[in-house]
Amino acid sequence: MYNFSFQPVFENLDLLLYGAWLTIRMSLIAMVLGLIVSLLGAVAKTSGIRPLRWVMDVYVEVIRNTPFLVQIFFIFFGLPAIGISMSPNTAAIVALVVNVGAYGTEIIRAGIESIPGGQIEAGRALGLSPVQIFRYVVMKPALRNIYPSLTSQFIYLMLTSSVVSVISANDLASAGADLNARTFASFEIYLMLTIMYFLLALGFSTLFAAIRRSFFTYPASR
Amino acid sequence: MKLNRRLFTTLAASALVAGLAAPSMAADLAEIEAAGTVKIGMLVDFPPFGIQDMSGNPDGYDADVAKALADYMGVTAQIVPVTGPNRIPYLLSGQVDVLVASLGITEERAQKVDFSRPYAGISIAVYGDNGLEVTDKAGLSGQSISVARASTQDSGVTAVAPEGTDIRRFDDDATAVQALLSGQVKLIGASNVVMSQIAAAMGDRFDKKFDLSSQVQGIAVAPGSDALLVKINGFVEQAKSDGALDKIHEKWLGEPLPDFVKTAQ
Repeated sequence: MYNFSFQPVFENLDLLLYGAWLTIRMSLIAMVLGLIVSLLGAVAKTSGIRPLRWVMDVYVEVIRNTPFLVQIFFIFFGLPAIGISMSPNTAAIVALVVNVGAYGTEIIRAGIESIPGGQIEAGRALGLSPVQIFRYVVMKPALRNIYPSLTSQFIYLMLTSSVVSVISANDLASAGADLNARTFASFEIYLMLTIMYFLLALGFSTLFAAIRRSFFTYPASR
Repeated sequence: MKLNRRLFTTLAASALVAGLAAPSMAADLAEIEAAGTVKIGMLVDFPPFGIQDMSGNPDGYDADVAKALADYMGVTAQIVPVTGPNRIPYLLSGQVDVLVASLGITEERAQKVDFSRPYAGISIAVYGDNGLEVTDKAGLSGQSISVARASTQDSGVTAVAPEGTDIRRFDDDATAVQALLSGQVKLIGASNVVMSQIAAAMGDRFDKKFDLSSQVQGIAVAPGSDALLVKINGFVEQAKSDGALDKIHEKWLGEPLPDFVKTAQ
């Protein structure tokens, strides 16, 4: 019989909790930067400027049709060949932002295109400025429409970040792997990691639900 | 209420994982002989000990030793590819009966698995750019060094590294070497075997900085597989004395089995 022993897990819980904090921090940074990339990408894709649209098309298609593992390897091991050398943790965040940016661009673009033309005309008829139209008539309803897809993409980003240990970046999964290498209590450690990732995902869902309640309630309070 | 349901789901998931993990046991020699096959775990990403040949079949020093071991036992070898980090879990969970997986004999591993007499050996050292002035462990401070996670060189480097050493752990030797080649790290903890292959490809760009240890490797079985272990030790002793291991070593590493392996207990 395999002897279950959770002692190595509990003795090194601080290590795992620090790993969880690194995962949270890395994910939050990647989410915020990824949201910015996605917004800019979606605006570029729906703009009338052709070359800009082509560039975004190439970016989105290349990233969405290649595995994340290959992307992160390329950024960490490939880019130094042309003089761009990043620390593992920076490279991990860059890879996550590049990856989620492509998916987010498509999601937000879909949201923008879901706004009927008549709604924008109504905004013009009310005498709103172009900036106001973009912000209140297009962006806010668009984000409200695609909010569930965008946030589930963000949670997926947090779960995907568990592979960054392949370039020796530090996160929850690498903390678990290091602990496993020392204690060999694999089942216990990975069971613990499963629970911790599950709780992290639950935490992010709760956070996103709270943001939705305060920013995207409908009908709009103001 | 909602929270209770979530808690229940979590517990149910844990119970499932525990249930899957539980049926794990020592390997029984009689059962293996009755079945006529022995499941042998080996690395396939650790040339020249474990590689895949052109048609994707496991090959290398370990594969030849595994086949010779199965012949000695009078059964067929079913080779299961494993990786550095998962090889011991594979053995302990009963998914393989035996590991011929270049497993270096260390005290902490010996608490988890039972080792045979040494059947191979590797010497491990710190290597790096030949312009770099590092001559001993104190020189590691402030340097970045790559190692394969959970490997013998990982424990070796971790044990001697002073404060301020940036140890980067990768999943395998190939990735750790890639980090060195792409300049992401300046040093690597690696074996003479890995470095001889790099030297073959890259010339003298890297040189040895200082030795960490020489390491003998054993064939491993799950604790309690005593009859099987006796059989394996019989095989190792015979293969050492009749020159079978020398021949396999010559084939893959270009020299007979080193003396520190032959004399080690």
